[in-house]
Amino acid sequence: MLTARRIFRHRGLLATLVARELKARYRGSFLGLLWSLVNPLLLLAVYSFVFGLVFARPGSDAISPYALFLVTGLFPWIWVSSTLLEGSMSLIANSGLIRKAVFPAELLPTVSALANGVHFLMAMPILAIAVAIGRFQGYSVGGWAALAFPLILLLQLPMVTGLAIGLSALNVVFKDVRDLLANLLTLLFFLTPILYTLEAIPYRPLRIFAQLNPITPYTQAYQQALFFDRWPAPTLWLQMVVVSWVCWWLGSWLFVRLKDTLVEAV
Amino acid sequence: MSDAIHIEGLTKLFRRMAPGDHLRTLKSALLEGSLTAGLARSEAIVALDEVSFSVHRGEAFGIVGGNGSGKSTLLKTVAGILKPTQGRVAVDGRVAALIELGAGFHPEISGRENIFINGAVLGLPKKEIERRYDSIVEFSGLADFIEEPVKNYSSGMYVRLGFAVAIHTDPDVLLVDEVLAVGDEAFAHRCLARIEEFLAAGKTLLLVSHSLGLVEDFCDRVLWMDQGRSRLVGSPRRVIDAYRQAVADEEGEAHRDAKQQADLEAGKTETGANLPTPGGRVRRWGSGKARIEGVRILASGEERYHLRSGEPVVFELIVQSAEPLTDFVFGVMISTPRGIECWGTNTDLGELKPKNFNGTARVRLVCAALRLAPGEYFVDAAVHARDGSPYDYRKGVASFTVTAQQRGVGLYFPEHSWQLTGDASWDGQDEEAP
Repeated sequence: MLTARRIFRHRGLLATLVARELKARYRGSFLGLLWSLVNPLLLLAVYSFVFGLVFARPGSDAISPYALFLVTGLFPWIWVSSTLLEGSMSLIANSGLIRKAVFPAELLPTVSALANGVHFLMAMPILAIAVAIGRFQGYSVGGWAALAFPLILLLQLPMVTGLAIGLSALNVVFKDVRDLLANLLTLLFFLTPILYTLEAIPYRPLRIFAQLNPITPYTQAYQQALFFDRWPAPTLWLQMVVVSWVCWWLGSWLFVRLKDTLVEAV
Repeated sequence: MSDAIHIEGLTKLFRRMAPGDHLRTLKSALLEGSLTAGLARSEAIVALDEVSFSVHRGEAFGIVGGNGSGKSTLLKTVAGILKPTQGRVAVDGRVAALIELGAGFHPEISGRENIFINGAVLGLPKKEIERRYDSIVEFSGLADFIEEPVKNYSSGMYVRLGFAVAIHTDPDVLLVDEVLAVGDEAFAHRCLARIEEFLAAGKTLLLVSHSLGLVEDFCDRVLWMDQGRSRLVGSPRRVIDAYRQAVADEEGEAHRDAKQQADLEAGKTETGANLPTPGGRVRRWGSGKARIEGVRILASGEERYHLRSGEPVVFELIVQSAEPLTDFVFGVMISTPRGIECWGTNTDLGELKPKNFNGTARVRLVCAALRLAPGEYFVDAAVHARDGSPYDYRKGVASFTVTAQQRGVGLYFPEHSWQLTGDASWDGQDEEAP
């Protein structure tokens, strides 16, 4: 928990750096911060087309409207994957800061997690509109279970941040992390019930595999709350708490172990 | 007097990064929390080797030494960026390290926003930065560009903004690593004035610089680092003299080696005329009837290449004749590295009539006081006939540096003083007779 305390102590600097990240991201582009909205929307359009129309299996309309289902799982996934990809590179990208100034390095992956979290939140209007349309069309979505959303988000934050912190430090000493991670994330994406529901996996062993995926409980919880309009089950909450705790603990442990060597290795 | 910085037995090793060593590195980092634990010294780079010294509060302390002597590692360890492998570093008070200015500047966002980020990185709360913002901008002199993205700044502007922020963090101990060299003259002066103010306020300065003049001007004491070891600590004059002497000795050796090489080549070409150097510029020419074997510079009875302006100096030429000569002139020319001739003379101008030269001669040009301005100088030596046809002319056969108590520009440095009468006076006129 030492890492958490250090991050908290530098919260002012953290806020400044997150603001820097957000400002710098779209500086000079015409749409600016609107890209946070447009990017996931375009991705959503592509996925809905490919998996909702091209690959649509007969009898799979159990998940309908499919676009809404996709949104609830896809947007949190984008948060995770972009945070891990960016966060794992954050120490190397800011090596000047670490080598030339006394700087709490754990802030950098944390900034990735928070900045991407903000992008995630900014894409929320799309989700809200999608839910509203679904409701208007008579689907039972957007009920009181949606209140679980901020709780799931808060639980997911330490998971994402912890992993980013650990990977960022590991990446400094072990540069293969970057490529391993990129491939692993692609694999994980298809092993997460984002495009499909867990029940749709025909083979039981494969289903267990998907269930072991640490991202799965969060995805399911989001889908329960926003799509199926059910308060996530206690076991799901328990799973999320455990995964978050383990990821945070593992990430900060790795970081603390590697901390003193970062300046020399980066 | 209490110590602002106290360093004891400080050793810092770096791991040699061999390719394919990564898994071992990772293992060592994960299990030992160190990249160098359990490494033999031969497997590591010893950046600092048992360095000990203290800097008193309010002192300006300089560190000089060649590249790779450990100066910057030392500074980074004092700053707390690097962890010592062994030994102890204690710093009392708030530290600001000007190692790289503008660390954390983001190229895409404006100077104004970067001031806030850089300030936060250096540990200033937002409110404090807001309070000092105007002063920072004024100091940087970048008011007109402050809304521009930093990527459009010149490297000088970048450094100015970085220095402006760093100096406004109000540190007790300021660590400066060669950062003042980048800005223009006017800004460098402003920085130095600011550092002087800072020292006057009783704060501590640790300055690493290759500009020996700057170190000499500023520092109360100087440490000379050599291959990770502290070689000498003491008054600036003494340490810098010793350091310059060592550098000159090394260069002298290099000269001697180069000379031997040249002589070897001369042996092959036999006529000895127009020996080109690898650089392509002719450094030595002549018929070879007589040869200058060496040039030494002597001061207070020993061979020295570091002189004080106004000191008695002897230029000694060792010349060998290849055949008996009755027509010969010895000459010496002193010029700056840029080729401006400062002073030259020869035995003909000295109205000495040649009689006989057969064998080896030792020619001494004795100057009672060499009043050259502080700087670096090259010596040419020549032996030629009275009509000017050269037997052996050697350009830049020796070099030396001159320092002076006071500063001055130009080439000539006469003994001088300032006097003032009437309705003006110097600060501290009574105590200080210049």
